[in-house]
Amino acid sequence: MSHIDAVTRILFEEFATAEIRFFYVIGYAAIAVFFYGVYVQVRKYRRGAALRLDGSPWARVLDMVGSVLSHRTIARRDTGAGAAHRLIFYGFVLLFLGTSTITLQYDILDPLFGIRFWQGDFYLVFSLVLDMAGVMLIGGLLYMMARRGWMKLPKLDYARPDRVPGDPDFERPQYRREDWAFLWMLIIIGVTGYILEAARLVWLQDRPLVWQTRWWSPVGAELAEALRTAGLSAATAGTLRHGLWWFHGLIALALIALIPWTKVKHIFTAAASLLVRDPLAAQRLPRIPESQAEPGVAKITDFTWKQLLNLDACTKCGRCHEACPARAVGAPLSPRDVILSLREFANAALEKNVLPDAVELGVHGKAPGQVTMETLWSCRTCMACVEICPVAVEHIPIIVQMRRKLVEEGSMEPLLQKTLQTIHKTGNSFGESRRKRGAWSKALPFAVKDARKEAVDVLWFVGDYASFDPRNQSVTQIFATLLHEAGVDFGILFDGESNAGNDVRRVGEEGLYEVLAEANISALHQAKFNSVVTTDPHSFNTIRNEYPDFGGKFEIQHYTTLLRQLFDKGRLRMARKLDYRVTFHDPCHLGRFNKGYEAPRELLALLGCELVEMGRSRANSFCCGAGGGRIWIPDPVGSEKPAQNRMREAAAIDGLEVYVVSCPKDLTMFEDALKTTGNEGKFVVKELIELVREAVSHELVPA
Amino acid sequence: MKILVAVKQVAALDEDFVIGADGRDVDAEFLIRDLNEWDDFSLEEAVRIKEAAADPVEVVVVSIGPEEADEVLRKCLAKGADRAVRIWDEAVAGSDPIAIARILAAVARQEAPDMLLAGVQSSDHGFASTGIATAGFLGWPHGAVVASLAYTSGEKSAVFRRELEGGLLHQVTIQCPAVLTIQAGINTPRYASLRSIKQAAAKPIDVRNLADVGISAHEVGEQGSLSHVRRMYIPDKGHAQLIEGSAAEQAKRLAGIIRAFKGEA
Ligand code: SF4
Ligand code: SF4
Repeated sequence: MSHIDAVTRILFEEFATAEIRFFYVIGYAAIAVFFYGVYVQVRKYRRGAALRLDGSPWARVLDMVGSVLSHRTIARRDTGAGAAHRLIFYGFVLLFLGTSTITLQYDILDPLFGIRFWQGDFYLVFSLVLDMAGVMLIGGLLYMMARRGWMKLPKLDYARPDRVPGDPDFERPQYRREDWAFLWMLIIIGVTGYILEAARLVWLQDRPLVWQTRWWSPVGAELAEALRTAGLSAATAGTLRHGLWWFHGLIALALIALIPWTKVKHIFTAAASLLVRDPLAAQRLPRIPESQAEPGVAKITDFTWKQLLNLDACTKCGRCHEACPARAVGAPLSPRDVILSLREFANAALEKNVLPDAVELGVHGKAPGQVTMETLWSCRTCMACVEICPVAVEHIPIIVQMRRKLVEEGSMEPLLQKTLQTIHKTGNSFGESRRKRGAWSKALPFAVKDARKEAVDVLWFVGDYASFDPRNQSVTQIFATLLHEAGVDFGILFDGESNAGNDVRRVGEEGLYEVLAEANISALHQAKFNSVVTTDPHSFNTIRNEYPDFGGKFEIQHYTTLLRQLFDKGRLRMARKLDYRVTFHDPCHLGRFNKGYEAPRELLALLGCELVEMGRSRANSFCCGAGGGRIWIPDPVGSEKPAQNRMREAAAIDGLEVYVVSCPKDLTMFEDALKTTGNEGKFVVKELIELVREAVSHELVPA
Repeated sequence: MKILVAVKQVAALDEDFVIGADGRDVDAEFLIRDLNEWDDFSLEEAVRIKEAAADPVEVVVVSIGPEEADEVLRKCLAKGADRAVRIWDEAVAGSDPIAIARILAAVARQEAPDMLLAGVQSSDHGFASTGIATAGFLGWPHGAVVASLAYTSGEKSAVFRRELEGGLLHQVTIQCPAVLTIQAGINTPRYASLRSIKQAAAKPIDVRNLADVGISAHEVGEQGSLSHVRRMYIPDKGHAQLIEGSAAEQAKRLAGIIRAFKGEA
């Protein structure tokens, strides 16, 4: 054995045999506690309802590994946290792997096969790597401490908007304590690791093999120098090393034992949650299984195992809390707190050895762990939460499934109840006669084809707002005119069309949704067309993502992409450039839901508009407040509405002329908010369709 | 213990309706049908009594109408009624409220409920007499326009308050069995989810004809009714005119109009 090959990790040197045995006993005990904890957690998830995942398992694994290794989901909209967590993650993983390989050699490979690799060059390089890993870990942890201690980020404030001061679960100081305990524990493990290393070097400073290779552990060596300068003798260092060894080892083992019982479990639950992620969680809501007697979620065990896992994955990062438009205007809802509340409930009820009686499992109400109906009805199903969650928590299906229960028992705003009945009776939320659905077309100088009677190329699904709301009708007429002038062979379903059901489904009235979806699908099947276009992002979403589950597979696009194509093909031609300074509001259902970010922007560029983006745009667009059926529920008087919040954001843009929308509900919500925020006269709200009309030549294109 | 609730499928007018060929009703194609608003409240009242009761209470809904009335009966079943009865016979067409009451009374005799609830009136024809007339046929006490009701299942009597003019309330104790007509607003009717309505579709509806309830054809329909609809029409719009100008000018103009009306030229 050459000189350098003999270098290896000093492990149990000078430990009495009894002491080593004792260490092993504690080690096994920690591992036993860990595995028991894993068992308890898995049993908790298995107490949830069954669910079969679809899609390829390999694609899931690849996607999850990619997200974990790249930290792409954690770095989004918070690069600081992303970088710090990356340091902690890689630091931790390296240190963990390093320590595990020691065990691998010492306890398995060496005694069984006589294989030793923890020596020589390998050991030295490893020392260096682990030393660096420790720096990464501690650096990342210090930043996390700074976020909590000094930066006081609002998203890390655990006070809940759905509880009032004095409620037992209002501030939840236990979470703050847990956060700090976790950070300190890791820091202490890291720091004592270094001191331990330094003490070992000082202790063995006379052993050339150790001392000469010390710079492979630069931090430890540097520290050793300092300790020596401070007058630490080799003998004292030996004692210090012995004590620290135990201290360091015991904390590390305690951490392992604590993993399944504390927030540390996110190491596993977050990865598992990413693994079972549904990319269409908000866009395509689950049907009610035939076997389920009562619709929706009443008890904690009505959630699927995957949803229970989601609850455990939440890291309290607060991003959904920050993004939520309901929370932003002071509504009693924070998606984070819905998740945490249910998690507290699940932990209390489902970690028990014996499952409590059904009556003790109800998740609706005001007691700790329960969710109030005011909270559930505050949601706009805007998807801001699902979209930003770094660990793939899917809030919307959880909220909607809880709403299904509320709908079934009739716990809802009287106005919403009335609207649902109206939709059932007339097929639209305006309570207008079915016959009037196509009435807007009578004012046009040309006839709009009835797609039920003659074949058309493009079937236009108009939607409720665009059909009945007077302000939107004018936009609808303009769009029809644009299609006509561009020579598009199009038609509508007239009274064959019903409300598409997107929002009805998100309200939680699944039975009515089924009626509407089936009616529309059958009407569409009876018509002859090549593809569908819609001016309504809500209809777009449900027809595109949800109708296939009901046997309706149609090729559909939002009007923005169709107009774009018409320009490309020369069927629409510019007559004059619009040199407006504009901003664009991404509708939730077009943007976040269906990633339709580009077409409207390309159109604006084509028209010659100068687009100034708002701070919250594209994936981070701020909901107008109308989604999830909230358009049928009056907002509380006196409090800010999401649309007003948004108008104030837009008003901050210097010289803004037009606030451009591309959704009928947006037009209604924002024109109203423009007035109520006192911005009338400063800039205007317009449909993108109206701008296109202004810019294009009005000559008929021969079809 | 049993409560009988009489319900009606009413018609609302669709946009741009036309009067049917016989000139006595709106063309059926332009009617949107639904459960009578008042009946929604009386059903809710019955279901609440049932839910508050210690002993079992059966809520039976009864409607007189053709097959399409099943739709409202299903809605009632979805909202908590236990059983639905529908009476129909071609001969019933053209019945006035009194003839309908005669049939309802026959059903009530068969069912022998402890209480019969009906709506104050129907939103389409608005006679406001069917419930009361039924009480007359049965010889039961009745209370009309009931705005609040305290009744515990099994009790021999009920206490209710009825609305009078001028915001006055009448508090009355009534012996059961009795007929009460329920005013809108007495409670907040529950929501029947589409899912529960669909499930109710599987429940049977007990359809009976006139013979089943022991009524002969001449007691109902046009024959059995003392009033007949002669004509339904949209009256010509009246004319109104705003008189402008100073008070003196307006007075002069008005006097002129009055003179012209009296033929004094
Ligand atoms: S969907 Fe939107 S409104 Fe609902 S909880 Fe999530 S962020 Fe809030
Ligand atoms: S649910 Fe997701 S986004 Fe919200 S706090 Fe938890 S981890 Fe963060």
